[in-house]
This record gives sequence, C-alpha cells and structure tokens, in this order.
Amino acid sequence: MVEVKELVKKFGDFTAVDGVSFQVSKGEIFGLLGENGAGKTTTLRMLATMLRPTSGHAILDGYDTVNEPEKVRSHIGILFGGETGLYDRLTAAENIAYFGELNGMDKAAIKERTRQLAEVFGMQEFLGRRASKLSKGMKQKVAFARSIIHSPDIMLFDEPTSGLDVSAAREVQGFILDCKAEGKTIIFSSHTMSEVDKLCDRIGIIHKGRLVETGTVEGIKEKYGDDDLEEIFVRLAGVK
Amino acid sequence: MKLRHALIVFKKEVKDLIRDKRTIISSIFLPMVLIPLLNIVMSGGVQSFEKSMNENVSIALSQDSNTPEIRKLIQDRILSVNPNLKLVDTGDPVQALKNEEVRCVIGFESGYAEKIKQGMPFKITLQYDESKTKSRTSVDIVSGAIGEFENSIVKERLAALGISEDILKPVEIERQNMAENNQGSNMMLQMFLPFMIGMLIAIGGIPAATDLVAGEKERYTFEPLLTTMPDRGSLLFGKYLAVTLFSFVSVAAILTGLVIGYVVNPNTLTMGIDASSYGGLSIQPLALLLAFLITAMLGMTFSGIQIAISTFAKSYKEAQTYLSFLMIVAMVPGYATMFLQPGDLTTIFFVFPILNTIAAFKMILGGVINYGSLILALGTSVLFVALTLWIAASMFKKEKYLFRS
Repeated sequence: MVEVKELVKKFGDFTAVDGVSFQVSKGEIFGLLGENGAGKTTTLRMLATMLRPTSGHAILDGYDTVNEPEKVRSHIGILFGGETGLYDRLTAAENIAYFGELNGMDKAAIKERTRQLAEVFGMQEFLGRRASKLSKGMKQKVAFARSIIHSPDIMLFDEPTSGLDVSAAREVQGFILDCKAEGKTIIFSSHTMSEVDKLCDRIGIIHKGRLVETGTVEGIKEKYGDDDLEEIFVRLAGVK
Repeated sequence: MKLRHALIVFKKEVKDLIRDKRTIISSIFLPMVLIPLLNIVMSGGVQSFEKSMNENVSIALSQDSNTPEIRKLIQDRILSVNPNLKLVDTGDPVQALKNEEVRCVIGFESGYAEKIKQGMPFKITLQYDESKTKSRTSVDIVSGAIGEFENSIVKERLAALGISEDILKPVEIERQNMAENNQGSNMMLQMFLPFMIGMLIAIGGIPAATDLVAGEKERYTFEPLLTTMPDRGSLLFGKYLAVTLFSFVSVAAILTGLVIGYVVNPNTLTMGIDASSYGGLSIQPLALLLAFLITAMLGMTFSGIQIAISTFAKSYKEAQTYLSFLMIVAMVPGYATMFLQPGDLTTIFFVFPILNTIAAFKMILGGVINYGSLILALGTSVLFVALTLWIAASMFKKEKYLFRS
C-alpha cells in the first residue's frame, strides 16, 4: 500500500512536484502519465527516498519516506528505463547478489532466490558471465531479477520501456504483470499512452508537477467522453 | 552508518576495481614497474654520463706546441699520473675540437722550458668548446691534471732550495662531520623516498575515487544503489575504504618496486649516485610506526577529498579533470620540500598534510627523531581525516550533487 499526500519538491525556485496526492492499493498498478519533465521521475525518486520532499509525505507499507527511509527501501524494488545500470565488471549472479546483500539477505537465501529467479527469467546459462558480455535482453533480465531479489512488496518502474524495441518492451510489460500477479503494489511512470492504457488499473495524469486527474482508465475515458487517452491527456494538459 | 553495510560495499568495490584494467595499471602496475624502471634508466644514464665525462678525455696539442719535447713532457708528467687523459695526434687541433675528435687543446707558451729553468711562471692555454658538454667538463679535468703538474714543479723547486713544502701550508683545515648515524650520507634517499611516499599516498586513490562515484553516475549504476537499504553514510564509507585501500596499495606497489630495484642495483634507489654508504642507516621502530600512521592518515585525508570531488563531478571526465588539478596541488609541497634536509624541518612542516608525511620520513631517514613533532603530525592528520571525511559525507548527502547529471 502506498499513500502519497501533498507531496512537494522544489529545486531552488523551480517546483518540480506540486502537491501530488494519490493512493495505490496492494496488487494494483498505478500509472503516472505525463510528458518529459512533468515530475514523474522526481515523484518516484521521492518515493524511493532518493530525494527528500520539500513538504508533504509518502507512506509505503506503513513507513514514512522521511522518517524511516531504510525501512522504506527494504520494501521497494525499482527498475529504471534506458540503461540497466548493471556493474559491467561483475557477473550477472554477482550483480544480483550484491543487491541481495545490501537489502539484508544472507548468502544462502540469495543463492536460493537467485536460482529461482534464474529459472523464472531463463538466466541459467549466463549467470556466471560478466555483465559487459551480456546482450541487452540478457541485461534486462538481470535487472529484473536484481530489482526483486529481496522480494519487495512495492515496485516502482520509472519509464521502464524507454528506448527499448518492441520485444524488449513486451518483456518489461510481462514482468510488470507478473509482479501484479504476485500481489505487489506497483507504481509505473510513462509518457506512452497505449502502454498505460494496457497495463494500469488506475492512472494519474501529471502535468507541470501537478496531478491534474486520477482515476481508472475507463472512468477517465467515460468522464471526458473520449475513448482516446491521448486526446484526453492533451486536453487536460492544455485546459488545467 | 552501519559498518556491515559499509563492508558489503567495500568488498564489492574492491572486487570491481581489481577487475578494472585502468585502475590496476595506474594504481599498481605503473608505481611498481614504471617508477623503479625510470630510476634504473636514470641511474644507468647518470652512471654512464659520469663515466663518459671522466674517462678517455682526449686532448691534443696546439700546432705551435706539438713538438717532441712537449709531447714527452705531457706524456711523462701529466698522462703518466692521469690515465684517464689521452693525447691525440692531429694535424689540425682546432678542427679536431670542432669535430669532437678531441675535447681540449693544450697550448704551451713559447720559451716555456727556459722559464721553467729560471723559475719563472709560464702560460698554458686551454682551448675548448663551451657549447659541448664533454668539451666543457674536460677543462676542469685537464686543469686538475695541470694543477698536479704545477704542484710537482713547485715541490722540485722547494726541494732544490732545501725548503719543506709545508711552508706553503701555514693553515691546515680539518672538517669534522658531527651528524649522528650517518646523517646526511643518505641525502638522495631523504630527497626522493619521502617525496614519492607522500605523492603516491596522496594521489594513489584517484583512479578508484573517479570510478566509484563519478563513474557510477555515468554508468547509471548509482541510482539503483541509492534505492537499496543502506543509508548514504554506509555507502560512502564503503567507497571511502576502497579508495583508501587503493592509495595504500599504490604506496606498497612502489615500495615493492623500489626494493626490487635496490636488490638488482642499489644505485637505482639514489638515481645512480653511489649507495654504498647507506648500509649504516638505522631506523627507530616507534618512529617508523608513527610515520606509517601519519602516511595512512594522509591517504585517508586525500581519499575524503577525492570522493568529495568525484561526487561533485557530473561525469567521469569531469572528475578526472578536477582530480588532475588535485594531483598538481599535491605535488607543490612535495617539490617545495624535496631539497630540505632533516635539520631544516621546523614545527610548521608537521602541521599540514603531505608536508607532515614528507617531514616525518625525512626525519626518520636523517636518524634524529623528534617524537613531539611526529605526534603533532599525527594529531593534525587525525583532524584533517575527520574534516575531509565530513566534507565528503556532506557532499554525498546533497541531492544537488548526487543528481547533477
């Protein structure tokens, strides 16, 4: 469960996130939909405790991001778009194990969990290979495994399909749906309307740091009398 | 900050760095091989240069002086006692000088033999080429040989008069070196070893520091790391320990290289200058321990600075640029103190980083230990470690630096 209340983040005079509030229930996918620079990444960074909110607060699994950041981090997994952010000089298994260790797992638990994840993602053949020698698809699978090695309850996805080709994007989308099937709470940011439409239970449209609309995809379409989410987005961004 | 988390980061960073060719080459290979190799080449160069300067000093007689009598005189009175001189017979001695066939041309004043008989002074002219090192240095060598010839004439004249040659030495100067424990005899060692230790411990962690923060930012591994459970203090401390370890490794590498170089040829340690007198060096263990502690503190101080700079940098290249300036800053006190002797060290040298490490090793190699100064150096070093670690931690916690890219 994620509860965000009046979250504000200012960088000097610039307000990147301006009073954002929303809730995400267990097993739900909440999509943050917005253009580049709308405040999606800043919001996710605050939820991941990487940035400290200027005001407002966010509670993840009952833990406050400002007062109990370590507890929050131990309950979240995060996957960024673009580069996978693996350590090239470590093997796939070492990359996964490092994050397991950092998240408080012992060696035996890491070994067992890595074995499970290798089976799930079909990584057995390249677990011992250095990340620099892996293909983009292989790296992506390692990044998936790394993000959930510690079995987090909450998953944050920051534009995870950014820069990926169709099949790689489908892999990511499949992974997100698998996480949902496992009952994880998921927040997913994107500027791709079709992707949000396809994956999310509810969405929040963010524009210039403000959440201008929230609701289910169908509810929003019904409210604005338009079946095209992109059209609704353009109207909201222009009107509000 | 949790030590357990810091150690996880430390172990991973060490493993990662050991697999990085750039870091291994710059932190271990270059200090261990290149600097001692440079010493060997330089010492070989110095020795062969000295040898070539002093041996086979070719001389010729000017055309007017090239007579059988003068040739015999030169042979009997100068060459016989200076085997490093060699008389070359040439028709055109000035051209031979220009062609570097001879280094110096000797000309005797006409009527010199008569003047010798009469006890009168006569002139010997030395022609040389100032633009050629061998020719220039040969003037001193030939002058020295002629000086010996001159002394032998004086002795003969005094003997003929029945006067002791002591009459020409009313005062005899005796120099007594009061330095203890061969102090001063290992001047070259005092110049180069503290400088190299101080420099390397200060800059040895640069490749690791560049890679571990700025490099992580550039490779997009930093943000996922920040989302893991450990707090930033733990992440920082793990990285800090790894950078510090690599600065120690650099020093260990160069010391290993120097020892190997010394075993192969002792003169390599002193840039080719005779090292045979260094055997009497005695080092007090407690002083050495203090010096190593001061050195370790210097490594930690600079690791803190390097991590702070690497955190500030937007990219790997930017970090490299800033840290290369740091290298220059570190070299200034190194070069400024290189020629100082242990006796020249005042209290102020033991207060500031780099200076205090260099001063401590100079003092130890000089053999006269002032424990008050060493403890002062250690105390101020602890303060600098704390200060730079605090700066690094502050930078590492600031969002505007962590997410600059």
